[in-house]
Order: sequence, then structure tokens, then C-alpha cells
Amino acid sequence: MKTLLYKQLRLVCHPMTPVFCLFGAMLLIPNYPYSVTFFYVTLGLFFTFLNMREQKDIYYSALLPIRKRDTVRAAVVFAVLVEVLSAVITALFCLLSAKLQPGKDNAVGMDANLMLLGAGLVLYGVFNLVFFISLYRSGYKVGAAYLKANIAMWPLMLAAEALPHFPGLLWLNRVDAQANLRQLPILLFGVAVFAVLTLLAYRRAAQLYEKVDL
Amino acid sequence: MNAMEIRGLCKTYPAFTLKDVSFAVPQGAVMGFIGRNGAGKSTTIKSILGLVHPDAGQVEILGRDFAKDEKFIKENIGVVLGGIDFYPKKKIAVLTDVTRRFYENWDEEKYRHYLHLFAIDESKRVDQLSSGMQVKYMIALALSHNAKLLILDEPTSGLDPVSRDELTELLGRIAADGQRSVLFSTHITSDLEKCASHIAFIKDGQIQYTGTLADFRDHYAYLRQGDAPLTLEDIIVAVERRPLDENAII
Repeated sequence: MKTLLYKQLRLVCHPMTPVFCLFGAMLLIPNYPYSVTFFYVTLGLFFTFLNMREQKDIYYSALLPIRKRDTVRAAVVFAVLVEVLSAVITALFCLLSAKLQPGKDNAVGMDANLMLLGAGLVLYGVFNLVFFISLYRSGYKVGAAYLKANIAMWPLMLAAEALPHFPGLLWLNRVDAQANLRQLPILLFGVAVFAVLTLLAYRRAAQLYEKVDL
Repeated sequence: MNAMEIRGLCKTYPAFTLKDVSFAVPQGAVMGFIGRNGAGKSTTIKSILGLVHPDAGQVEILGRDFAKDEKFIKENIGVVLGGIDFYPKKKIAVLTDVTRRFYENWDEEKYRHYLHLFAIDESKRVDQLSSGMQVKYMIALALSHNAKLLILDEPTSGLDPVSRDELTELLGRIAADGQRSVLFSTHITSDLEKCASHIAFIKDGQIQYTGTLADFRDHYAYLRQGDAPLTLEDIIVAVERRPLDENAII
């Protein structure tokens, strides 16, 4: 697995993919729909997978002493690495935002808190599920897979941004320690959804890719 | 002992069918896999390597079933599908650095030896190598992980006559130790006259003949006209050529 991941980083990774991970810094914008930072990370992944197709990685991987499903595993593990990295960076900017902008109230959507991180992980899980299953059905239709993943993600993003503004749910928008503690189950829910959907994505995508004639 | 044995390989596409393809590459042989464009050479090779899923058939390489021991087999074979059309902008040194990590039996000393022998500059990008150099680089990679069987799909297509001559000599020399074997698909049959010991001839998805080069010539001796000896090209053209009927050009 280490070798496969090394291959992904050295040959496949598009330079913009790690750059988009830094977009967690957008949490310092006073009023902004912060879930868009997660969208940018998926855009970075799209660039990498487009790059992978254009560089004909399929034919390179086919010559290596690996099973066909290992190609899918490398792709999913790479995406997880990028998504977890971006989540960690976003978490750091949540802390920084609380420190630098006390009392900030994001009028546009979710605030920089654990609710945001939980929602981000759910979005990544949904993205992985739709994107990888769609991509490895053909092995090359990256654009169609990305479009489908976005169609699944955007309604969830809008719902997550709107949720904290409903009466009775205003605690989801708070950034104080007490509110964050109350939001902890949402983060844990996000971690679980991310893990389960990503695992399902790998299993189904690998199964589908085995049947594809290259 | 056979380095590779294919039994009853079948694959149906809407417009093409591979029918019951069976042949064996004996250890130490250079087998030329011949047929015209579209005869099924690449589909057979892709089926052998699991890139295409055959509807039926068995592939045994180095005494092991491909379906069960894919990883072991791929560690011990070298595959060259034409030149290199992947990662054209990467430097050769980078591509090697990634590739060598996948092989437990990678021999860096051998790799350096072949780089020197083929005069390959590692600091060049893949697309800066000529087509002949790309094939040689792929062969260098295969020999550096001690591949016992080389499978090459059209390695000489698009190469100049000198490069083709060098390459065919190289393939002959690789198998000369009796331990390594080569399966080599091509439609440039004159290349095979120089290095092949065995032939498998495929036409419209079906194997027409497989055996030693001498037996192959004997088998098609009836096509001979006059005293001139039959070349492989004469045989293929005589078997494959379909005359244009008088209404062909309108």
C-alpha cells in the first residue's frame, strides 16, 4: 500500500490538489458559506483524477505487479489522505478563527465549529461514494463522475448551511466551548458516515472495475 | 516446460470474436505472434494479462494459473505494450524510482548496466526518448526485475529498420540463455525471420497454426510458387489477402 500511495503522490497528484487543502483558510472570511471549502477540495481531487486519465495511468498500472482492485484502493486511499488532511487544516482554522475573531457570527451559513467539520466529513463520504462508484464503472469518465458527485453534494451543502438558522437549532451556529461539546456527536456522526461510505465506495468500485475491459 | 500456456481463450465483442485461442510458449523460445491488423493479437495479449476479461479459457504462466497468482506472475514477467504512452512529461529517473519499488527482486546493478548498454539518459523526459529508446527502456525495466517471460505487443511498429534490427537481435539474445522466453506480437514479419524460434499465427480471432518456425514454413509449403523460398510475409499475404471485386471502387 505504501508503494501504491507513493506512486499516487509522485506520479498522479496534481499540484492544485494540496493547494486546495489550504482553502480551510477561508474560514477567516467573516461571512461566507464555509462548506464551499470542502467543495474546493473535491475540485482538487477531480484535477488529480483527470490528470491520472490523461497521463494514461491505467496502462502504467496494468504493467505493475498489482491486482486490478489495488488500483482502485490506491485511488481511494489517496482521496482519503487528501480529505483527512483538509479536515485537519480546516479544524486548525476553526481554532484560529475562534481566537482571532471572537464573537463572529456567520450570517451566510454554518459557523467555524464542530458542526461544520462533521458536515464536511459527511460531504466527503457522499462524494467518495458517488464519485468512485461512477468513475470505476467505466474507468475513464471522470467528468461525468464528478458531475454526479456534485449533484449529490450540493443539496446537502445547502441543507447544512441552512440548518443552523432554523429556530431551535441556533446552537449549531455557536462557537463557544459548551456549544462545541453539544456538537461533538455531529462530528462523530460525520466520522462514522465518512468511514462507512468510503469503505462502501471502495468495495463497489473495485467490484465494478474488475469487470471493465481496458 | 512451457513458460506460458493458453487454453481455449474466448472473448466476444459486438464486432469481433476471439475463438478458442490456444498456444504455448516453450521455455527459452522467442515466439512470434503474427496476424494482420485487427486479427486479435492485442486482444489476446490483453486477455492474457487480465486487462480484458475473457469469456472462457485458461492462462498459465511460469507454471501458475494467472487468475490465482496474478501478483506473482506479474512480478516475474515484463510487459511492453508498444512504446510508452503514459506519463510522457515525467523524467525517466522518476518513472524508474516509482516502478522499482513494486518489485521485490529489483536489481539496481542490472538496471544501471542496461541503461548504459542502451545509452538511455535518465534525466530525459519520456517524450524526449525516440520510439526505439522507449521500447528499450521498457525492456531494461523488465530485465532489471529478472523477468523470466517478456510479453511484447507490437514493439517494432513505427521503428526505423536499424532500431528494429537492434531490437530483434536483443530479443534473440535475451532468450538465448534458455531460461528466459519471449512472446512478441507483430505484423512486421521480416523481424521474426531474424529472431523467432516459434510462431503462432492468428486470423480473424482464430489460431491458424502454432509451432516452430521451420514447421510453420513446412505447413504452408504448398503456397510456394517457383524456386524462391517462402518468407513469412509471403505466407501471411497468401492466406489473408482478399482480392477486391470489380465493384469495389465506385
